[in-house]
Amino acid sequence: MATSRSVSPGGALLRASRLFSVPAPIPPPSPEIGFFGSVTATTAFPTHQVITTLNSSRRRGDWGLKRPLPLRSTTKGKTAMIRVKQIDSIEHITDYSTATDHGLTLQKFQELRLPVTLPQVDKGDYGNTFITTTRLGLPRLVKSAFEEDGDSTTADPADISKRDMRWKFSGPWLAGMMPGAFEKWMAKNVRPRRAEFREFLRKRLAEEMNTQALLKAEDSEGLGAAAPIDPPSITEDQIIEYLRKLRYNNMELYDMVGQFLDLAPLAPARLSDMAKEVLKRGVRLKKSDSPYADRGPPITHPSAGISYLRTNMYLDNHPVYGPQAVHPAVRARVLRPRKKGLGLNSDAKLGVAGFAVDTPFGESPLNQGSIAYKALEVFNPTIKGGASIFVQPLSATVDPSGRVVPVVGDVTMDMSRLIAQELIGKEKVFVESLKTKEKKEPPMRPIQSRSPRNRTPSWRTSSGQAYGTDKL
Amino acid sequence: MATRQWFSSALRQCRTALSQQQRQQPSQLQHQQQVKQLSTTAPSAAGLRQIANNPTSAAGSVLGVESETSRVKNEVLRGIYVESHQRKAPAGGKQKSLPSGVNDMRVVATTDLYVKEMAKRRWRSGDVYAPRDLSAGEAVKWRRPSGQRKDTVDMLGIHPLDNYRNFTLISEYMTSFGRIKHSSDTGLRPVNQRKIAKTIRRAIGLGIHPSVHFHPELLRLKKRDLPKIVLSPKKGSSSGNAASQ
Repeated sequence: MATSRSVSPGGALLRASRLFSVPAPIPPPSPEIGFFGSVTATTAFPTHQVITTLNSSRRRGDWGLKRPLPLRSTTKGKTAMIRVKQIDSIEHITDYSTATDHGLTLQKFQELRLPVTLPQVDKGDYGNTFITTTRLGLPRLVKSAFEEDGDSTTADPADISKRDMRWKFSGPWLAGMMPGAFEKWMAKNVRPRRAEFREFLRKRLAEEMNTQALLKAEDSEGLGAAAPIDPPSITEDQIIEYLRKLRYNNMELYDMVGQFLDLAPLAPARLSDMAKEVLKRGVRLKKSDSPYADRGPPITHPSAGISYLRTNMYLDNHPVYGPQAVHPAVRARVLRPRKKGLGLNSDAKLGVAGFAVDTPFGESPLNQGSIAYKALEVFNPTIKGGASIFVQPLSATVDPSGRVVPVVGDVTMDMSRLIAQELIGKEKVFVESLKTKEKKEPPMRPIQSRSPRNRTPSWRTSSGQAYGTDKL
Repeated sequence: MATRQWFSSALRQCRTALSQQQRQQPSQLQHQQQVKQLSTTAPSAAGLRQIANNPTSAAGSVLGVESETSRVKNEVLRGIYVESHQRKAPAGGKQKSLPSGVNDMRVVATTDLYVKEMAKRRWRSGDVYAPRDLSAGEAVKWRRPSGQRKDTVDMLGIHPLDNYRNFTLISEYMTSFGRIKHSSDTGLRPVNQRKIAKTIRRAIGLGIHPSVHFHPELLRLKKRDLPKIVLSPKKGSSSGNAASQ
């Protein structure tokens, strides 16, 4: 039994405290290669733990840290969320900033109740990959990120065929490596292991010879099984001969190299794109069943821990209208309309729950420029609150860089859109059917701008104006 | 808005003239009127509202350029939409309304102007945004190219001195006047910056690359209407003369 180091009572208290449970920050998302960008833009995923506190503690500045935080900057907003870069810096201050950008985005995403799926690639006629949708707007052949066959990090040495069906590999994904990084990796990680690889080949050759000997013994009807060959007993000449054969058998050689270096699976080159190169270089890869062969393995678990739902096959129950056939429609912001005319046409970008998403791929009224979706085509500054449309969120997927990408489809039932609009107070579906007069509540007090021009002295405004009831 | 239905055509002409005048010399009252017409709480159009409230200072802060042209552009943007809004409810009975194509073009132009001036951010699927990202302050940062770059020589794993004959590489790291670019322009770390500079000096010193402009082959490829230089012996001419068509 290992000797356990005794911990002092004070030490035990600290270890059990929440302060010590704050995890270390993770590496930030890879910056986009390009010249245009903002350093202060919200990152694709948070890197620091978001800390919250009770209202009573917040009013005193108590966030469970080494010192109370200034009230002016931490008590203004409705939500209490901060991230702490340094609990105590050299200047004796706590380096913190607000974390509502990521905290509220997570809350909004969890309200959507989306299942996380594996990246779905579907090869079209010309070898292009795209996500297809059925007529009902559901993505085809989605696989949950929590399926047992793909949700593992260890490779079973006994079962080589299942080696690819992992999401975590020790070695890199070669297709995603830049040439400079590749050269460095080769020099540092691969070249020193030449002798090791030779031993690996020796073992593989021994296994092959054993299997061949067993087959021969079976064929010759049990004339006598030969003794299993030991790897050390194989001579250098045999290995050299084996290597010569492997040189002409690219697929097997690559498989062995991939297994030895634990490389992530690569998709074979599509003949339509790289026919000449494939024939010239003679490199042929085995077709891999892994969903990461095309884009590379993820940096986290395929779900990124953002949602633990395995399916969207659950029933939504409306308190008034009962069970719903489809999930509720969600209001999406039009972040960028499709440019037409003067500039190049580009895809419209929507914003759902704080995430930028693409419009549904394929045939849908959203993509056909119908009059109902004029907001997607042109910019209209007169729309109060910005242009928005209703969409149906289907699922979410995590791309290799760690970004969460929700997949949205077109709203299939008009009624779901009406019900969603009723929820935010823009439509009256239920009340109309009842045909009763509802009691009008006075609107909330309008928020007045604080500029001196807009401020009128209180003795000039009537009480009705202050309450907003004079404009009914 | 409903009262305009009873305006006569003459009054409508006065109004259009007035709106034109408004565009050139806006007064504060007219500002507020136009602001009400354009009342929107859209964060994406917050910049427009800022401009409407404070044309001179907001233009300077939002667009980073305090100039006449930017102010005029903002007014044009506002004016176009105000006008198109007014034109949608034509005053009086018989009027020569503009063909619908013109209004469409104006709307498209507004969109284009918006996308060019305000919505410069290159949205990627999976980007997370908060209300702050849609504000004018953030939008400005996406207009300017940032100095941050990755070291391309390290990324590609090239040895600059072995590529002194690679004219594309040489031309890439020099300006159009043949001057070697600064490291803030190239984004290279000091070691690679020195190597690239040495490569350029080597190529120019050998006389295989021009010193005051890009390589002529690159110029030819970029601007295809330059005459082709074909080295082939003409019939009857002395050998060694290059024939140019």
